[in-house]
Amino acid sequence: MTSINRSIEANEAYIKERFQQCSDVVFRSFALKDETLLFIVYLDGMVRLQTVEENVLKPLIFIGLPQGLDRMQSLVETFRRKWLPLTNIRTDESLEDLVNHILQGGLAILVDGEDSALIAQIQDFETRSIQEPRKESTMRGSKEGFVENIRTNTSLLRRRIVHPDLKMESYKIGTYTQTEVVLAYMKGIADEKVLSEVREKLSKIALDGVIDSAYIEEWLENNSFSIFSQIQNTERPDIVTASLLEGKVTLLTDGTPFALLLPVTFWSGLQSADDYFERFVFVMLTRMVRYLMTFISFAFPALYVALSTFHPEMIPSYLMVGIATARENSPFPTVIEVFIMMVIFDGLQEAGVHLPNQLGPIVSIIGALVIGQAAVEAGIISTPIIIVISLTGVAAYTIPRYSASLPFRLIRYFLTFISGFLGFVGFAYGLIFLLIHLVMLESFGTPYLSPIAPFDGKRIRDLFIRYPFWIKNGRNKKRGQR
Amino acid sequence: MRILLTYIFVLLLLPAAGCTDFVEPNQLAFVMGTAIDYAGDGSIEVNFQIVIPSQMSGPFKGGSSGDSDNFVVLSAVGRDIFEASQKIQKKTSRRLMTNHRIVIAISEEFFNKNDVSKLFDKLGRDPANNLRDVIILVKGSKAKDFLMLKHPMEHLSSIAAGKELLINDMKSFSSREFILDSVSEGTRPLVPVMQIEKIRLSGNKTKQIAVVSGFAVLNKKLKVQDILDNSEGSAAAWMAGKGSADGITIPWKDGSGTLSFRLTHPERRIRSVRGNDPKHLILTVKAQAYLLENKTPLDMYNVEDVVEVQKYMNEQIQKELQQTMDRVRQRGSDVFGFGEYLHRKHPYWWKSQKNDWDETFKETDVMVKADILLRSVGASGSQLK
Repeated sequence: MTSINRSIEANEAYIKERFQQCSDVVFRSFALKDETLLFIVYLDGMVRLQTVEENVLKPLIFIGLPQGLDRMQSLVETFRRKWLPLTNIRTDESLEDLVNHILQGGLAILVDGEDSALIAQIQDFETRSIQEPRKESTMRGSKEGFVENIRTNTSLLRRRIVHPDLKMESYKIGTYTQTEVVLAYMKGIADEKVLSEVREKLSKIALDGVIDSAYIEEWLENNSFSIFSQIQNTERPDIVTASLLEGKVTLLTDGTPFALLLPVTFWSGLQSADDYFERFVFVMLTRMVRYLMTFISFAFPALYVALSTFHPEMIPSYLMVGIATARENSPFPTVIEVFIMMVIFDGLQEAGVHLPNQLGPIVSIIGALVIGQAAVEAGIISTPIIIVISLTGVAAYTIPRYSASLPFRLIRYFLTFISGFLGFVGFAYGLIFLLIHLVMLESFGTPYLSPIAPFDGKRIRDLFIRYPFWIKNGRNKKRGQR
Repeated sequence: MRILLTYIFVLLLLPAAGCTDFVEPNQLAFVMGTAIDYAGDGSIEVNFQIVIPSQMSGPFKGGSSGDSDNFVVLSAVGRDIFEASQKIQKKTSRRLMTNHRIVIAISEEFFNKNDVSKLFDKLGRDPANNLRDVIILVKGSKAKDFLMLKHPMEHLSSIAAGKELLINDMKSFSSREFILDSVSEGTRPLVPVMQIEKIRLSGNKTKQIAVVSGFAVLNKKLKVQDILDNSEGSAAAWMAGKGSADGITIPWKDGSGTLSFRLTHPERRIRSVRGNDPKHLILTVKAQAYLLENKTPLDMYNVEDVVEVQKYMNEQIQKELQQTMDRVRQRGSDVFGFGEYLHRKHPYWWKSQKNDWDETFKETDVMVKADILLRSVGASGSQLK
């Protein structure tokens, strides 16, 4: 660690060497009226220029030190205490720290003949304003979403939970990015075991850079090879607030609007914030529909393949004759046809995500025309399969969170494949395999399928039916104890 | 990771080893109806009505087929159903699938000349039969002719027959019921009868069409004992506990007009009278009646008239049912299931009687009692003037 030299030339040389070929660094040397040399450094675009000029340069250059004073013990100390009208100002003794603070948007003031330097945190840079989160929009409820600036995000939480028990521990992760990660939790509600596990894992992260919270997510997960994510991400401060009050732990990462929530269960991916905003009777219906659609989203193609090619006797007679009529001239076996359609559907979906907005309609037109009509008329794909795959695709979008629907899209292929050559037996094997995995999976000590397995009669209430808030359900238990 | 890879490889190994036996729908021949005819010297002629999917206008394909047939009837003669079916299979390019069958039509001739009970062994034994198909008896022609018919409204004559039975409230005549009745000692089967009739459709066009024309009463050896016409048949079905709704028209006392009712919620109960005498039975039928047509001078806003109508209707229905009951009873074929009732009520007596129950049934005294509630008299009182 290099400490600050009493000679300003040495310090200047050191800083200039560190910031070699950094065109955005501004160096400025000037002298006070008594010819004391001063040297300031800041990053252009990261500090409030007006403050630099009006509150630092102007008084120092124009007015100088008050007349009649002898040279003080420490000019730096005098500046800090009496001369600079800034709130967040401190002294640094090491040049390394100084460089770091400059990088974070600080204004460094070095004085000749002093072994410490002033650093004024007057950073000010362009950020996105708070907007409605687009991927998790709700009909009712807060329209605020997290932004990239972590301080804005913490303030969004602070405004919702006005209590000193909301703790926010700060970590710096990433050798080069030095990304600030805030571990937020409610002291007394959050599980200490989960907290210490997270703290330990955070300290072990060895990354060059943290671009998004996803980078941290994979370091925290216990079972990285599972297709189910054991950490939830969200852009909504209201979801984070509710989760904090339930005893969950949140990780906010600088530079991304996505906060991480843990521990989670299988069911949290299937619940929407709207479930708690709408009338509870209606929520029962929407939840049932959503669960049914979730099942359809991973099982329907497999069921169709198994039923129509292995157990045609199980389909009602008229429907079976109808299917047979439609499939009369199909060149491929059903299972191959279903696979072709699934790949095409996922391809269209992927294309839709990457296309620029103006080109979006083109994909839908080509998709509808080429696949919906031409393929059927050419006899390559049969109509029932189009229906099956489009229903499956639409059903996947009833899952409120995009990342929660991804595992089901994978399972769809797996189940269709195994049903394609083993029929219902294969379908059953596939489901059993899946259930074994889900039962074994844990998210930070919470069984993934809870409260169904292991069964928890009180918490299960929130799974299918949302009880009115005044009925105490399992979620509110911890709050009741405090 | 290694475990995951192992699973994937095992999974990939299965199809690679050819462990698959899927059958595409276009490799299947859907048999919608079967007809069984007598072919001389103990052999059977089996006919399969098979849909031709490419000619169908299914839910996924617009446009009707026009004039071309949308079904074929393939037949073969064999010693039993399986042998005949195998011969049919040799004639077709697709695997025969009988699971979706709607109708099994058996000609009257076959019933009389063969031991039908042996025929139904395959029905009960082979799990590929869904047992929901209806067994009908085709009177006056070969069962094959019934399958060959083209229906003016439906795609296939089998579908038409199935719907016809369903619409006319004859739901309890599936092959499952038939087998249950034929193996139980105390009940004899009742089989719907269809007859081919010429019907004038429009203008000069006439068409042959199969119509429901009553019920056949079979005996223990499944020979036809008696054929009841439509009204007697529905009375018998009601008393056998298999009817579901029916209409009835009765003339008023002095011949001044008629009354028509719809009967719903039919029920029946068997009781023995005079202590424990198994030879005297009472069959009580219950139903709810809705007056639909009134051609008599009665005013239905008048309570006394309503009471009178209900009383008279009960008497009339009781009389009609008693006639049917006596007719069937004289043939000695217990389609009503009295035997089953006595089996439970007097098990020891039944043991000694079960072998000649048909004869005993002839001598049993059965009294029919009607207990019908007049639920509604309709929206108007007397006739509109």
